[in-house]
Amino acid sequence: MTLNPLDLIAQMPGALAQGLIWGIMAIGVYITYKILNIADLTVDGSLCTGGAVCVVMIMNGYGVTLSLVAAFAAGLITGLATGIFHVFFGISAILAGILTQLALWSVNLVIMGRANQSINVNNYDLLVSLRYLQEVMKGARPFYWSPIFVVGIFVLIIVAVLYWFFGTELGSSVRATGANANMARAQGINTDSNKILGLMLSNGMVALSGALLTQYQGFADINMGRGAIVIGLAAVIIGEILFFKFFKNFALRMLSVVLGAVIYFVVIQTVLWLNFDSNYLKLFSALVVAIFLAVPYWKKKFTPFSPKRKGDADCA
Amino acid sequence: MKTARILIAPLVCFLMIFSMTACKEKAPDSYVVGISQLVQHVALDAATKGFRDALEEKLGDKVTFTEKNAQGDIPTCTTIANSLVSSKVDLILANATPALQAAAAATADIPILGTSITEYGVALGLDDFDGTVGGNVSGTSDLAPLDQQAQMIKDLFPDAEKVGLLYCSAEANSLYQVNTVKGYLETLGYSCTLYPFSDSNDLAAIATTAANDSDVIYVPTDNTVASNTGIIDNICRPAKVPVIAGEKGICEGCGVATLSIDYYDLGYATGLMAYKILTGASDISEMPVEYAPNFEKMYNAEICEELSITVPEGYSPIEG
Repeated sequence: MTLNPLDLIAQMPGALAQGLIWGIMAIGVYITYKILNIADLTVDGSLCTGGAVCVVMIMNGYGVTLSLVAAFAAGLITGLATGIFHVFFGISAILAGILTQLALWSVNLVIMGRANQSINVNNYDLLVSLRYLQEVMKGARPFYWSPIFVVGIFVLIIVAVLYWFFGTELGSSVRATGANANMARAQGINTDSNKILGLMLSNGMVALSGALLTQYQGFADINMGRGAIVIGLAAVIIGEILFFKFFKNFALRMLSVVLGAVIYFVVIQTVLWLNFDSNYLKLFSALVVAIFLAVPYWKKKFTPFSPKRKGDADCA
Repeated sequence: MKTARILIAPLVCFLMIFSMTACKEKAPDSYVVGISQLVQHVALDAATKGFRDALEEKLGDKVTFTEKNAQGDIPTCTTIANSLVSSKVDLILANATPALQAAAAATADIPILGTSITEYGVALGLDDFDGTVGGNVSGTSDLAPLDQQAQMIKDLFPDAEKVGLLYCSAEANSLYQVNTVKGYLETLGYSCTLYPFSDSNDLAAIATTAANDSDVIYVPTDNTVASNTGIIDNICRPAKVPVIAGEKGICEGCGVATLSIDYYDLGYATGLMAYKILTGASDISEMPVEYAPNFEKMYNAEICEELSITVPEGYSPIEG
């Protein structure tokens, strides 16, 4: 079969919408991975928790807004669990995340009642759906129903709120905790509670993203979060490599992480379009991330002398 | 300057690809069929092959396939659905439940046929499912006659008391089958215990427990089991516990006997439905969900011999 570039162009809005939804999740990963300096694996579970809560709420007749709020709250609780494991049980952060993720498998099954819960766009008024995207393009719906528009607004609001929050005294102490825990403690900051707060906020974002994702794809599945952390990290890394050089501002950096997620899905969509044997899809995803990780290292290694190396500007 | 170069490079690449592929007019009576499959394993692969064979037999060169496999990733199912719908394929085959759900979320216009789906009402969240989905969705179900499978356990192992039901807790279809079969088995006088495992990592531990506590083990049509029959075989055969399987592929790997549907036949039946839709002979919104055309009692000769089980009349051996 020949490759038709017009097909690829037609597929881009879908990749963009999916990338934006995962971008919210990537902001969550950015909070733990870059700001708090913790690799948090809770996300593989909390993504599904958000989706599960949202689906069950909508099915029981609650509005979409309330369902999204509930999903966010459920995400906060998952982060709290990891935080408690980490801070009060003294379990290393990565293991604490894995434990919560494990426990969430059962919790998610209980919430949904079974492994896969459908939320059919024909029966419910959903905020975003892959269906709307097609309908907007055909002109059957006004543009503001496009998931790209709706999720875009979501992203802007989230970035604005987080930008404000991380500028407050409380937010600044979370950042200080991640940048240098010992120094932060010396300044009288309670690093333990700040770590928990960061983990909660991060998983709240992830669960919110999961809630949007279930509506977009039309179902919640117990496996939907599997490997989510890889997509999240890929988004953070792609955003960092491509945009952090130009974007020094914290809000812009969060946006560039979202763009990283968009680029990830554009790449995946393109790989699918290329009609590669899809058995190689995961190999390809891994290679993309590896290359993005390697580029800055190679640059440093093979550039003989860089006159303008200032201090490490990565401490956001 | 450098930034400009970075931006221009992909654009040039893109234009090069663009110029290489001239826009091709679609022949009026040719069809493009998109196939979205959740993961590769014996049963799903067989269904896809049956589907393709049926359409190729009927339409020959006039049909081309765009086959995509999500490698078990849920996000990729959505990406694939978007890719097929945006490319405006003429029909989508969704192989396994998440693939169907993603495709159904993506389009209300392009006909979608599901296959290897157990319960359409559950998969699509329909409260009043009466055998016809309506709209742009129909397909085939892989639901095996569970009452007859329960009866088969009674025929083969009348003296057994405890039946362990081993299934993956991540699969909604498996839970549905296990619960149904449990009801039938309990009316036949067996005591049943559920042994759900979460993924292939804890399958071995759960299967060992199940083998210790049960006289017979039943496994439903379960994707995770289908991919890991070797583990179950290595545990149950030494423990001398016979396994009754929900379908042929699983029985071939670790089972004693099965009342099986053939996924190739199921896919083939789906292909015939697709043919009727593509040629305009049938309207998908009025097509009821079809079930497997025939069931066959089969046994695994090697394992039966090792466990010294004599198979009654009417069973045919699985040819490996």
